[in-house]
Amino acid sequence: MSDALQSLSRFIPELILMGALAVVIVADLITQRRPLKSSTDLLNGITLVGLFAALVTSWQALGTVEAQSLFASMLADDGLLGVFRPIFCLTSIVVLLLGMRSKELEGVRLGEMLALLLTVTAALMWMAGSVNLVMIYLSLETVSVASYLMVGYLSSDRLSNEASLKYILFGAVSTGAMLFGLSLLYGMTGTLDLYGVRAALAEGAFGPGLLFVLILIAAGIGFKIAAAPFHFWCPDVYTGAPTPVTAFLSVGPKAAGFAVLIRFFYLGMAEPAGGGALAPVGGADWQMLLMMLAVITMTLGNVAALLQTNVKRLLAYSSIAHAGTMLMAACVLSVEGVQAIAAYLAIYLFMNLGAFAVVILAHRVTGSFEIDSYAGFWKRSPLLTVAMGIFLFSLMGIPPFAGFLAKWYVFAAVINAGLGWLAVIGVLNAAVAAFYYVKVLRVMVIDQETGPTPALAFSRLDLALLVLLVVPNVLGLLFWGSLDRVTEYSQTLLELG
Amino acid sequence: MESMASAAIFYGVAALVLGSALYVVVGKNLVHSAFALVAAFFGVAVFYVYLGADFLAGAQVLIYVGGILTLLLFGVMLTNRIYNLNLRSGAIQVVPGALSAGLVFALLVWIIQSVDWGAMDVGDPGPTSESIGRLLMGDYLLPFEIASVLLLIALMGAAMLVRRRGGSS
Repeated sequence: MSDALQSLSRFIPELILMGALAVVIVADLITQRRPLKSSTDLLNGITLVGLFAALVTSWQALGTVEAQSLFASMLADDGLLGVFRPIFCLTSIVVLLLGMRSKELEGVRLGEMLALLLTVTAALMWMAGSVNLVMIYLSLETVSVASYLMVGYLSSDRLSNEASLKYILFGAVSTGAMLFGLSLLYGMTGTLDLYGVRAALAEGAFGPGLLFVLILIAAGIGFKIAAAPFHFWCPDVYTGAPTPVTAFLSVGPKAAGFAVLIRFFYLGMAEPAGGGALAPVGGADWQMLLMMLAVITMTLGNVAALLQTNVKRLLAYSSIAHAGTMLMAACVLSVEGVQAIAAYLAIYLFMNLGAFAVVILAHRVTGSFEIDSYAGFWKRSPLLTVAMGIFLFSLMGIPPFAGFLAKWYVFAAVINAGLGWLAVIGVLNAAVAAFYYVKVLRVMVIDQETGPTPALAFSRLDLALLVLLVVPNVLGLLFWGSLDRVTEYSQTLLELG
Repeated sequence: MESMASAAIFYGVAALVLGSALYVVVGKNLVHSAFALVAAFFGVAVFYVYLGADFLAGAQVLIYVGGILTLLLFGVMLTNRIYNLNLRSGAIQVVPGALSAGLVFALLVWIIQSVDWGAMDVGDPGPTSESIGRLLMGDYLLPFEIASVLLLIALMGAAMLVRRRGGSS
């Protein structure tokens, strides 16, 4: 019991989020009869304060590098969790701001949505901290259930319902497969603790049987990060969900999925082999498995994105492709790979949410998500076009934008690990990706609009949001090298236990 | 002699579980399928008894057979438009489905045969509820609490879906 009480002091961001959740639920009930506008403003305010407090405390916690296991080795509060916590809080804050400006969510009671957003943010942190198979499953399931509900929030909208149902069906199958894999792994090793799993696997060779178990577990993680061939839900869900929710799904659960991937494979399935490198234990070559996933995911995402005419669908496939790029870094089997993934996610947060912000603001005037409806945008709003240009060039990975830094970290890690052929496939994919990002820009700048074009009006909130998202993308290269500190944190990853 | 009888009961229950589970999948009438599910869940509870997990067996009967299934049957049978509803389910893509199920089955059999599971003889089974309770309030305190958060949002989500439907139409 004293251990649990002691752990609470390292658990403050999560506690704040849970407190905010309770306040939002009560406030939602109290303001049920009040006019929609005032009650929504109040609830948005409470949620924003909660998320901001969680961001500040998790930022402060980043300073204490010393790793510690919490709640009888359920969670590890180490460098990895420290890096991911602010990522989750920032994502949720941006998504909340996007939700305030989204036309789709206008006139809808947001109480439950905000409660779900707070819950899912805390659950993402639990995912990123889990070092126990039960915790991995439970936190992943909490994120999934909250996501299903957020996707289907617009219950009068047929597309939203359909997306939610598809998401649940795919989610049920892949978490089922994962749970089955986890139970087999428990049977093989006799423990639920990832450190114990590693110790048990190091003693004997399990070979192909273990590989099958790992494929089952990879299905559950692959579903969360939308890696092919577990991505089938992704385009339909991204298209049908309210756009702020889509923006959230493309960053939050993906980031947490990668955190679980790193924890599970780098901690439970590998042992340190000196010099920051790792070697698989238990006689299963999961590095090959991850490399295959990376190549399929990248290629399929990019090629399918070429054919899209709906911008949300295009961003769905682009997010699949980005998951493939990050999976490449996961094949590296060294601390450098962890560093590359964390750096990529931190930058991806700003560029991808930025692209979705432009989509949501443009939807306010065009009322459409078709790429064709962006024709002549340059004349209607040069500001929004330039912002979209910055986000898309950053997603392409073109210097001087931050996306270049992200790609640089990944490719450097892959090449240093001697996987030159993988890097070549990655570069080819980046070239393909340039086509569809440029296609959007071409429509915005060159194509002529047909019919009436109402002018765009920005509120102060829109401008603040765009500045918040554009600045990190433009100034990204100034942070060159500062992300090396991530290494410092991630080295503590393997010290626990 | 006793072990023979024990094995006979085990295989009988296993056949019951498999048969009724198969009926749930291929059966065309939803109400019949729900009743077959009762048998399958009950058989699984018997397996728990065989494994010496008394608490789990009780929970299985109370929650799955007593709670979830009764609710499911109420839901199916008390729907007021039951005569207009098409309570039949069909099967599509039987051959690919059967093939992949067979493949997974073969893989699992092979894994179960090839892996050393490190099984131990735990002696006579005793009551487990006390140690489960201690674990839930001790080492597994955090998962226990997180499960309550999960249930909270699931409850909220269910209320949300039902209320919206009723309100808008």
